[in-house]
Amino acid sequence: MRSISTDKELAYLYERVLYFAKQFNRTLPEMRFFILEGMEFASLLEKKVYPTSPLNIWEGKRMVTKKYRIQSGQESTLYYEVVQTGNPSYAYLNHSNSAMTQASVMAHVVGHCEFSELNVLHDSNLDRTEYVMHLVRKVDLSRNQMGDKYYLNYWNACESAVPLIAPSSQFNLANSVDTDTAMSIDYEEKSADKNRGKASLMPVSSTLSKLIQSGQKFDAFADELSKKKRQETLSRKGYSLKAPCQDIMGFLRNYAPTSRAERAILDYLYVTHLTHDFVIKTQIMNEGWAMYWEKKIMTELFKEKAVKGIIEYSKVFSGVCYPRPYFARNPYHLGYNLWKHVEGLYRDGKVSLDYFEETDLEKKKNWKKPADSDVLSQMEHLITTVTDYEFLRRFLTSDLVHELHLNRIDRRQAEYLRITKEDIYDMNQNWVWLNPDPIKEEMLKFYTSFGRPRIYIIDNDFHDGGLLLFHRDDKKLLRKDWIKPTLRNLNIIWKSGVFLLSKSTLYSYYASKYNETIVTPVTFETVMERMMKNQKPFVLE
Amino acid sequence: MHEDKITSDESEGVFNEFIEDQLEDIFEDIINNGGIDRFGENNSDIIIEMDDINPPILVHDDGGSGGGRGRGAGPGREGETIRFNLPFKNFMELIAQKLKLPNLTKEGKGKIKEFSYTFKTFGPVGVILDKKRTFKRALKSSVSAGIYDPDKDKYEIAIRRKDKRYKLPKREEKPKYKAVVFYMGDISYSTYGERLELEKRLVNFIHSWVDFNYGPGNVDHRFFVHDSEAYEVNADEFYNISNAGGTRASIVFDLINQIAFNEYEVPMTNFYAFYFGDGELFGDDSKQISELLKKSLKPVFNRIGIVEVKPSSISQLKKELSEQYKQDQVVRVTEIHDKSHTVRVIRDLFGEVNAKH
Repeated sequence: MRSISTDKELAYLYERVLYFAKQFNRTLPEMRFFILEGMEFASLLEKKVYPTSPLNIWEGKRMVTKKYRIQSGQESTLYYEVVQTGNPSYAYLNHSNSAMTQASVMAHVVGHCEFSELNVLHDSNLDRTEYVMHLVRKVDLSRNQMGDKYYLNYWNACESAVPLIAPSSQFNLANSVDTDTAMSIDYEEKSADKNRGKASLMPVSSTLSKLIQSGQKFDAFADELSKKKRQETLSRKGYSLKAPCQDIMGFLRNYAPTSRAERAILDYLYVTHLTHDFVIKTQIMNEGWAMYWEKKIMTELFKEKAVKGIIEYSKVFSGVCYPRPYFARNPYHLGYNLWKHVEGLYRDGKVSLDYFEETDLEKKKNWKKPADSDVLSQMEHLITTVTDYEFLRRFLTSDLVHELHLNRIDRRQAEYLRITKEDIYDMNQNWVWLNPDPIKEEMLKFYTSFGRPRIYIIDNDFHDGGLLLFHRDDKKLLRKDWIKPTLRNLNIIWKSGVFLLSKSTLYSYYASKYNETIVTPVTFETVMERMMKNQKPFVLE
Repeated sequence: MHEDKITSDESEGVFNEFIEDQLEDIFEDIINNGGIDRFGENNSDIIIEMDDINPPILVHDDGGSGGGRGRGAGPGREGETIRFNLPFKNFMELIAQKLKLPNLTKEGKGKIKEFSYTFKTFGPVGVILDKKRTFKRALKSSVSAGIYDPDKDKYEIAIRRKDKRYKLPKREEKPKYKAVVFYMGDISYSTYGERLELEKRLVNFIHSWVDFNYGPGNVDHRFFVHDSEAYEVNADEFYNISNAGGTRASIVFDLINQIAFNEYEVPMTNFYAFYFGDGELFGDDSKQISELLKKSLKPVFNRIGIVEVKPSSISQLKKELSEQYKQDQVVRVTEIHDKSHTVRVIRDLFGEVNAKH
């Protein structure tokens, strides 16, 4: 690993890329580039794009298998670009790439860094890499304190909690947990307001009976009682769960009884996996934005002849932006083309009320009424306000699905998938185009749960201090043989019973015993309602 | 960024330790059912394929990755497999440990020496320049002389004569052991299909095990076949020659006996012989083998293994010899019916005499 300043040619290209980024008025953090060997690159990827990581078996496994794949020719070490955003951002170049490729990587990184800075989820914080390296040192110290065996045991247990990170969920820590130091939005008050609103719409007879029963007094009493209960919990534990919490690892990190050493492991794993949420929610916009600026900056570099190989670059670009069907979406291709499409819409003033209200199709087709504000600033505004879900929902149309070949699949694959003639929109010798209409909806469905089960903590004092998890019914079963070991791992972290309610089964791991009990299922809505009322969300009959 | 190189060496080490524990569990399966007929070629790494391991997490059951077994705080398993290289030496050490195989007894210690040169010392004069050390010294000198100073955009490095460091050879002397392995095969019976497969597996294991014990350059592997006469062949022919004629096995024992005494320095050489056949011998063939073993071979050979491969009801070699060589240190008599017996046969051939397995 060496700094870019050790290579004069790359240092020059870096300077030119930065120059053009400034010319284009890009909002950038400090960017630091380093050059890596192939295997260093492979290792960096396994370290979640940080230069160091604590000892762990999983990184070892991935590296050992990766080395085998590289040695047996199944995989190459020719990685192009990796960047850890933040301020400063750290970007890594592969030493074996040509100067042209290195320049394109630098230009691409410009796009990523800016996107992370501007986006509504803001994936950029001060000294991120440095902070993670500090955490690594803390974990290394912890290993000495814990001893290797317990350290690895605890680390492995924490790995089971890693997919349960949801910092930007509607049910994140801030919205689910009251603490004695920072009381957040009063959920109960809100719900009470809602109920009051509903009451006015109730039928007359109900309104009358309610008046006769003078329920207001009862409500005030119940309100007072629930406030008292919450206050007691807060003063006893320092926190109380007021709504389901989807950021389970965040909750464990903050509230599980841990030693300093254990906490250091939780901190490291939480912080290094936190960005996955951003990546999965903005991948299309982010990669598209990076490709958009990569191309713009590279065009300038070719113009001033700072770098050669425009034909080679065009080949690489079209390879990266090759269309793939919607279920195997290529974020580079989709993102880049969507941004170009959006640019066109803004340029022609098609993102306006006038355009939407125009009923004359001919006029709409030839619409060209540029808006007053700059196209680029409108695109930037989009970044600062939306993520992939809204980006696709707003701009992806059936026509665009077809134009970008998101509905195109290989003919043999179509035969294998037994696609019927009714679903085929068009076909030729090699390809089949599916009906583009339902595809947008299909793509948006992914953002509901990202293909993962939705699990929440709904009670942190279930059966005398146990942690009760709730699997929100998504018409799918959980993989049963992994429930027991997962609960056992979570039990190691929580150090008390851990329970999981999934459909009509309550799985429990308590005092080294695993049990499955058939129970009456409850809905997520019921759980929410009970929690709002400060009742136990689920009670064993 | 104080690290010069990004590596995952430590984590790989932890994984390898974990794998060694896991291998112990699946070890017998690797030997009995794995592709050991190809392993250890040129002492290359062993490719291990095993169930993938993953931390257990809450996931949807999409039915595609069945066969998983959670392992609590340790890794869970998935239906998919992972492949990785394990150094040949580590694998053989693991075999020795798991199967409780003692090291082969080596004779001739101290009489034959093996010399080698290592480059562990460094000096200001010599032939082989140590570029790394020289550069380090030159860099230090250049920094102190002020000609290398990145802050002032000075990148010159001058290599002076006194900066040069050379690798100096150091003579190392080790006792050298010489070993010969004679593989004897009966080509009169139908050596194809499963029989050939079983024989190949065992021969390859013996080849690797002796190489591992003596070092690959120190072992002669010689192949002999017999029907009604015996002759030497190369390794490929050993598996490919077949003849439907009658058979006499004692002649091949006689042949290796002559070769051992005529072509090798008996006191300095470690002799091993392994016979593979169906055990269907005629006349007094078994008795002659027994005589040869007792009078000529046993006194000078370190190990003689006689393996009946898929014997039939009329096979008599094992019957003849097993009583005589029950619990014998040198002569081991065993039989193999299918590949699930491979581990047992290896133990029979190389294990401790009194070991229970």
